Amino acid sequence: MSTVHVDPGAPFGEAGGPARLQAGIRTPEGISFLRGLAGTRVRQNGCAAAAYAALFANVDVITAYPIRPYTAIMMNLAQFIADGILDAEYIHADGEHSQFSAAFGAGSCGARAYTGSSGVGVTYGYEMYSIISGARIPIQMAIADRTLDPPGDFGSEHTDALCTRDMGWLLGWAATPQEVFDKSLLAYAIGEDPRVLLPQMVAQDGYFVSHIAGEVEMPSIEQVDGFLPPYQLPFPLDPRRPVSHGPQIHPAQGPPLQLERARAMEDAIPVIREKTDEFARVFGRAYPHFVESYLLDDAEIAIVISGGHAVTCRAAISRLRAQGVKIGMARLLWIRPFPSEDLRAALEGVQAVGVVETNLGLGGASYGGILSLDVTTALYQMTGERPLLTSFMAGLGGETVPMAEFDWMAGKLAAAVRNGRVEKAAHWVGFEE
Amino acid sequence: MAHEVIRHQLPLFDEDGRAGATDDEHGRDLYYLPDLPEEDPYAAGHRTCAGCGPAIQYRWVLKAAGQDTVVAGPTGCMYVANSTYLCTPYTVPWAHTPIASGGSFTSGMAAGYEAMIRKGRYPGPYPNILVMAGDGSASDIGIGSISGALYRNHDALFICYDNECYANTGIQVSPTTPYAGMTTFTPFGKAIPEGNKLPPKNLAKMMAEGHPHCYVATTTVGYPVDLMNKTRKGLNHVGAAFLHCYTPCQKGWVYQTSMTVELGRRVVESGLWPVWEYDPAEREYHYFHPPVQRPVTDYLALQGRFGHMLPEHVATMQTGANRNWEAIGMEVPRHLRDLEDPGRHQRLKDENYSMPLNRGVGA
Repeated sequence: MSTVHVDPGAPFGEAGGPARLQAGIRTPEGISFLRGLAGTRVRQNGCAAAAYAALFANVDVITAYPIRPYTAIMMNLAQFIADGILDAEYIHADGEHSQFSAAFGAGSCGARAYTGSSGVGVTYGYEMYSIISGARIPIQMAIADRTLDPPGDFGSEHTDALCTRDMGWLLGWAATPQEVFDKSLLAYAIGEDPRVLLPQMVAQDGYFVSHIAGEVEMPSIEQVDGFLPPYQLPFPLDPRRPVSHGPQIHPAQGPPLQLERARAMEDAIPVIREKTDEFARVFGRAYPHFVESYLLDDAEIAIVISGGHAVTCRAAISRLRAQGVKIGMARLLWIRPFPSEDLRAALEGVQAVGVVETNLGLGGASYGGILSLDVTTALYQMTGERPLLTSFMAGLGGETVPMAEFDWMAGKLAAAVRNGRVEKAAHWVGFEE
Repeated sequence: MAHEVIRHQLPLFDEDGRAGATDDEHGRDLYYLPDLPEEDPYAAGHRTCAGCGPAIQYRWVLKAAGQDTVVAGPTGCMYVANSTYLCTPYTVPWAHTPIASGGSFTSGMAAGYEAMIRKGRYPGPYPNILVMAGDGSASDIGIGSISGALYRNHDALFICYDNECYANTGIQVSPTTPYAGMTTFTPFGKAIPEGNKLPPKNLAKMMAEGHPHCYVATTTVGYPVDLMNKTRKGLNHVGAAFLHCYTPCQKGWVYQTSMTVELGRRVVESGLWPVWEYDPAEREYHYFHPPVQRPVTDYLALQGRFGHMLPEHVATMQTGANRNWEAIGMEVPRHLRDLEDPGRHQRLKDENYSMPLNRGVGA
């Protein structure tokens, strides 16, 4: 386990130290609103689901800056505050860099902070990602993904969130509004766990998930409060016990600190497993820890995918199965930490794997996308027979990935199995025979 | 029910009845022995340069603020010189922020405490929340985030410690570098004899005019009680406050280390740094009228960064200073008006009290 350097003074809640931070008081309007919701199934889109999760999590500080499509999350939260349902400070910042900095400042003082963005907003605030995770401040950021400029494009593409993948944030990807809701609570519980202390991104596909309604089951306050204890940073900026955050280091002090950050990601893996199981016990919805396996048991070929296009992928796979094609799907529920072990286990025995790249990795090793590079590294470490591996550029710029395209991908994978080799590392779906 | 947010009201220091204060023939305080708090939340033992103006400012500000304070420090010379991993000079909680995040991070701290106290998560009272950002942070890369914070009126004090350059990175021009102030990005040479051709931004006026609901003030390290009182007024003001403090940089400006506080007075007495206070209730500026009015050469000649100035450059500087006198409601004496004529000046390095020029400035 990694060690977080904590001031040696008496810990909060012990003799001689200040009291632990308590659960935040909810407003009477908020309590009656949430009581009315408990146990109901509400039709809402991914943005509303994220906002309702933040409301249930009783966040203290929200920092917002408008950009489509995630904006609707912040609009929902602003209305909750205006209606007295949520007591939180709402900072409408002067840009994403400031937006994430403000959430960072709030989180550093011990407040539960919530932020979010889309597309070029995600990249505008890029400086903050390494700083916030390195400071071990577990704020949460919602991302409803969007294509990066140029040219201006409202459509969904995973590139924005994937650009931030190596900055030390937990990065989970939800495929339905229900999963957005659940993952937001789950991510807070994992990130704020003193064994982890990492900020979290909860990504959802712009429009496909963020703006299409699905049914979301609402929990009770007691369920949420039982699962998600009050945020308790071990080293807040608190005058009762002064600490210094982020002082300058000498180069020789760099390697151990970097090692600690790298280990923090690895240490998060067992906590994700534990909290996912606990979530299932409390809320009755069981998710796989890291990888959703769909019809993989006897599969010869497999699609690796993340996000909302998995819904179409599942439908395409059942149709192909009916035609006798032995195909399955592995969906990544978390991109960081990358589930190398779980993915290897899921794809054992598969002969050819195709990664769906709804993102752009210009000039990378595959000359296609970003995700297949991680998948390749994970599968290269397989002890048994390694599958053939290729990737498919699909759904860029906000395009749908229709069933016919999955059929085409299956054809390429079947051909790879027949020929004993893949044609190329990255296929541009729709541009090739 | 939400908890009430209780806020500090810090008493001001008496500016007139100080024990032991005496005046020289011009009415300037010679000895300065006010009754100050003994605590120094900015403790001794940091690594700033000898004669560091920002270090003096940090000490007075935190002495005035006291122990129930949370401080943010964006990247700048006072980040690098003050903080060494596992050893910082702060006895109050302090956090480094990115250079552009002084305003935004501090907004988050203020919002965090507001929410936590209201929701019963922190017992209170509301601590003093302040940020000390360098001029590069406050007037350049982070000006938007400070403006946003002032606009949203968070209850916090936003301070710019102004040493008129990016000192940490080896003395580069910032928007508050004075006209003709030499930096490593504005060296002087045959083609550009004045070095820096641009007059500085009027940062404090931008903040006051642009955020008229905020308490805004300027001061220098030459007036410690004024600095401490403005710190306390800024903290007492419920809402956002901005304080712009002149803090000489020995390394960047090239002067004798003992002259830091003296420069803090001469810059005011030469009309180059108006000291004022903006009262948001009355929406009025209150200008300090110094007891002495000097020619700008009394100020410029003490610093190597101005040693290359030619007569016309000195005259330009005097012209600007004279307009400042008029702007703050003081009469420009005849001898200073005459000095707007380049014919009345010599090269600054020929002034017999001029500092030798140092071209090796920089990291």
